[in-house]
This record gives sequence, structure tokens and C-alpha cells, in this order.
Amino acid sequence: MSAYTINEICYRCAHDPPFREAMKTDPSGALAGLDLSDEERGAVLAGEVGKLYRMGANTYLLSHLLRYELVGMTLPVYQERLFAAR
Amino acid sequence: MAEIVAAIGVPHTPAFPALVAREGPECETARLYRTVREHLEAVQPDVLVIYDSDHVNTFFFDNWPTFAVGSTARIEGPNDENSGLPHAVVPGDEALADQIYAGGIDAGFDFSLTQKFTIDHSIMVPLHFVTPRLNVPIVPVFINGVAPPLPAAKRCFALGGAVRSAIESWPRNMRVAIVASGSFSLDVGGVLTAPGQRAGVPDRAWVERVVTRLGAGKIDQLLEETTTDQLRRAGNVAGEILNWIALLGMLDGRKPAFIEPQLSHGHAYGIWRWD
Repeated sequence: MSAYTINEICYRCAHDPPFREAMKTDPSGALAGLDLSDEERGAVLAGEVGKLYRMGANTYLLSHLLRYELVGMTLPVYQERLFAAR
Repeated sequence: MAEIVAAIGVPHTPAFPALVAREGPECETARLYRTVREHLEAVQPDVLVIYDSDHVNTFFFDNWPTFAVGSTARIEGPNDENSGLPHAVVPGDEALADQIYAGGIDAGFDFSLTQKFTIDHSIMVPLHFVTPRLNVPIVPVFINGVAPPLPAAKRCFALGGAVRSAIESWPRNMRVAIVASGSFSLDVGGVLTAPGQRAGVPDRAWVERVVTRLGAGKIDQLLEETTTDQLRRAGNVAGEILNWIALLGMLDGRKPAFIEPQLSHGHAYGIWRWD
């Protein structure tokens, strides 16, 4: 399993403002058509950053989800989930 | 012949431009950058060769380089938002970049080449402080410091030597200053960031050890200690020290004329003189 698409989603949240906006307003729609397994898609939509980290996502990139407060991320939620995966 | 006239090491903390704007020219960060800038101004470089680690802004994993040279005349940045710096254009020195690229390849360092790229805060923040008019052309030499596996410290040190040879064998008259950008211990939104913080310094003891080794010129020891495990313990962007290590590979054992840490930030400011 490659974390490529998960990292790409995080990258686009920082670099692609229309995509970021879609991730705020209609995350399922934003991810439609992207090459993700059901498990990966579910983890992104649920903001399960610990799981995404375990899947191989780069943590600097994951922090873009926090920076832009996407998929329910606040600092306490982000850290609780990420630290649980250490 | 092209000659190296100075080497400096600086941090690139994205919050620093706003912090210095807020706290004024006498705050610690402003003072430290000013010390470096004044030396750079005194040696009047024609070009800056900058060792830098892209934070997955310039490159992505569709084509991720371990080492890359950026060769173009017009470089835009920052391509990320965290520094709040205005979008700007920095001149690039294509001819020197091509010389470094070819010299590296010839010496066995198989650089990637990019002739179309933008740069992130890790170059724009240092330039904001050391060449604030953005008028000195740059050549970025990118070293992977953020996406493991990272290149070995000894390999980066040797790369610095190859870049130095490429510069010094170039027949154009030109004064070249070397810049290393980055921290020694830093975790940004990763598993080693302290609870309640967005970034932090997971291994302050490592920062102190690095600064001690740099100050004493104990470079062989530093190369031995800069292991994969040590970098992992020091945070998700701690590989930025590899930029400093490439710089050390150009110094012929020189000790720094100035080295001052900001331990709570996990980084330092350094100046190596050539006179």
C-alpha cells in the first residue's frame, strides 16, 4: 500500500486553494475519483491522522490538515490521534 | 577564478519575519540575523549557493530528489503560506548552477536537475533577513532533509567538497558565499511535538552537542554522531542539519568565527570567514 495519494491530498490542501475549499465544504466530493482504498478514504474523511501516519503518510504533510483545520482537525484532536499511533 | 568568500548557517523559522516586525531590531532573532547579514555585506558576494531542504513544496513524491540543483534565472517564492512573506522573484545564477550540476555529476554525485521550480519559506526567510532586497542571485542545492530515507551525513559532507571544487574550478571571476538553511532538532506537527504545541524541539541535548562540535571544529565526531537514529529522535525536519554538514564539507577544517544557538528553537547562527 502506498501513501502517495494521502500525501498528495495533504499537499493539495496547502497548494491548491479550490481543492482546500472543497475539503472544507464537501470532503467526500473532493476525494471522489481519487485513487484511494475504502480504508484510506474513510481514514482521510474521519481525520484519522494516526491511521494515516501508520499507513505511511509524512507527518509534515499531515500537519497541513491541522493548519487549515480540515476533516475536523484541531490541535488537541490531531495530537491525540497522532500520538496514539506512535 | 570563482572564489568562496564566506559561509553562513541560519535558521528559517516561518514565524521569524512577523516576530521581528513585532519586536523590533533589538530582539534576539533580529540581532542574530543582523550579525550574519553584516558579515555577508562586508564580503560582497556576487552569488549565494544555498543548501536547503524542500518541505515537500518545491518537489513532490512523483519525483523526489535526494540531491538537486536548481538552475534558472528567475525563481519565485515563497510557494507556501506559513511565513506570511510576500510573493517575490529572486534572481538565479543559471551559469553557476550548471557548473555545480556538471561538477557534481563528474565527481560522482548524481544530482537531479530542475530548471523550473519555486522555493519555499526555507530559502525565502533566510533571504528576507540576510539579503532583504533579494538582489543577490542564488543557486539552490537541495538536500532531502524531511522525507526518510535521508542521505548519509558523510555523503552530504563529501558533496560539499564536490560543490566547492566545482565552484573553485570555474574560470569566471566571482565571489561566492555559501548558505546552509535549517535546524538541528525540530518537529513540526509530528509525533515528537510536545502536547499543545504545533512545533517543538524534541532533542535539545542534540542541539547543544551539535553547537559544541561546530564551535570546536570536531567535524569527524559530528559526522559519526549524525546517524539515522539520531536524526529520527531529533524530529521530522531535523534532517535539515544535512545542509549544514554539506557546508562543513567546504571548509577545510575552519572553525566558525561566530556560532550562537537559540536552544529553545533547536537551531543556531554561524559564520565561517575566509580571510
